[in-house]
Amino acid sequence: MTVLTDTSIVRRARIEPAVTLDGVSKTFGTGSAAVTALRGIDLQVQPGEFVCLLGASGCGKSTLLNLVAGLDAPTSGTVSVTTSRPSFMFQEAALLPWLTAGRNVELPLRLAGQSRGARKRRAEELLELVRLDGLGSKRPHELSGGMRQRVSLARALAAATGEEDSSGLLLMDEPFAALDAITRDVLQGELLRVWEATGTTILFVTHDVREAVRLAQRVVLLSSRPGTVVGEWDVSGGGEELHDDITGRLRQVITSHAA
Amino acid sequence: MPPESATLDGDAAAAVAGLDALDTPTENRRPWWRKAIATGLPPLVALVLALAIWQALWASAIVPEFKVPAPAAVWDSFASRLATGEIWSILWTSISRAFLGFAIALVIATPLGLLVAKVRVVRAAIGPLLSGLQSLPSVAWVPAAILWFGLTDATIYFVVLLGSVPSIANGLVSGIDQIPPILPRVGQVLGARGLTSARHVLLPAALPGYLAGCKQGWAFSWRSLMAAEIIAAGPLLGVGLGAYLKQGSDYNDISAVFAAIVLILVVGIGIELLVFRPIERRILRARGLALGV
Repeated sequence: MTVLTDTSIVRRARIEPAVTLDGVSKTFGTGSAAVTALRGIDLQVQPGEFVCLLGASGCGKSTLLNLVAGLDAPTSGTVSVTTSRPSFMFQEAALLPWLTAGRNVELPLRLAGQSRGARKRRAEELLELVRLDGLGSKRPHELSGGMRQRVSLARALAAATGEEDSSGLLLMDEPFAALDAITRDVLQGELLRVWEATGTTILFVTHDVREAVRLAQRVVLLSSRPGTVVGEWDVSGGGEELHDDITGRLRQVITSHAA
Repeated sequence: MPPESATLDGDAAAAVAGLDALDTPTENRRPWWRKAIATGLPPLVALVLALAIWQALWASAIVPEFKVPAPAAVWDSFASRLATGEIWSILWTSISRAFLGFAIALVIATPLGLLVAKVRVVRAAIGPLLSGLQSLPSVAWVPAAILWFGLTDATIYFVVLLGSVPSIANGLVSGIDQIPPILPRVGQVLGARGLTSARHVLLPAALPGYLAGCKQGWAFSWRSLMAAEIIAAGPLLGVGLGAYLKQGSDYNDISAVFAAIVLILVVGIGIELLVFRPIERRILRARGLALGV
């Protein structure tokens, strides 16, 4: 269990990518009713990298995450994931309301067959990581929206790092979209801190340019209907200029649908 | 943690802690005696009022005494049975039957409900029938059951089961149907498959609906039992509350009839308050539901 002490951030060396999408397309339905959600997506995510997928509605962001998570199969192309089973975080915290916060975090470990003592220790560790130490016995309804989303983060980390020597892969589907602006701002900072502390690979979907620029090392812009990669930016000390650049490009993508 | 980022981290920790303190839902607690008054007083007042109206109705003598007895006469009828101890055997006969019938119904209805909820063919085949049986008064089965099983306990249990099984199974089905779709999905991404998913996600999530079905199933089994006991009477069947009521009616003893009706009501309410209410509160409270009740 070296996850908490591992502070190395990015290992962008020539190691195997954590996620590789090769010419991935996804079509729902057949014949005239067919809708192409994704077309010809090529994407690589390195271990420990933080990548934001940015796009307007209908760009197939969620479809893409489902493909990576193995919840759905691509129509063509290949998806390969080298880390342990990817774990998911949704827009809602989606905690099981009959379990305490601690038990929610323990659940993936329980499903993986870990012993009671081990999973309890691990859950406490993870709750401490998201600054919820001592609140493991609270029920979800006794927690605020931001706290619930942090429990959800701890649970996702438990699922992603369930196996030894694996820093895991976290798929996040607009996890902060339903929170108020202040909480969102604080949680973005928290997510960065947790990412640095754990070295987890993160694939983060958002439609908020500012959020993408603040969080990610790399921003990937998707077009809508069908979703294709239209641009990629390296976010290293970018700031306002980069933000305006990406926003301009996103606007272009959206206006192209007006006709 | 490098030293220069320590203060920065301290700031972030303080911000998180402050936000949590502001955002945490507050709960207001009332002292226990206030709660007791708030829950105990209104039904007590209603009961006293009902008794007063009854007494007034009897005293006005608009309705002849053989139709509406005095509350005191009903009490006397009850007290005489209590003095001989007969009341305990009457209550035991009915309540033990109801419990045994309900337990059998649970064993049959739970797998049945799971099958209907999760297997599409089964739902298409018997789903409508199950809902339809719920609206068929189970007393309608009594004549058939007497022809099949004679005047034995089998008749009684058959009627009780047909009354309660559809309710319990339907409760479980609607409990499963009402699970927010995000929860099974969460179970799936956390690694729950098939039976583990049923055990860790589906069944606990469906528990409130299942419990509502059980409550209704109990009410139906109690009602069916009374109907069966009133209609089917015989030496093999012993004297339950229904037979006690029927006897009162046969002997033109309106006080005994009223005493039996009140007893049937009291048992029904008592089981609801002593068994189902506490379980329901526990289950709903744990989920943050019905906190005001």
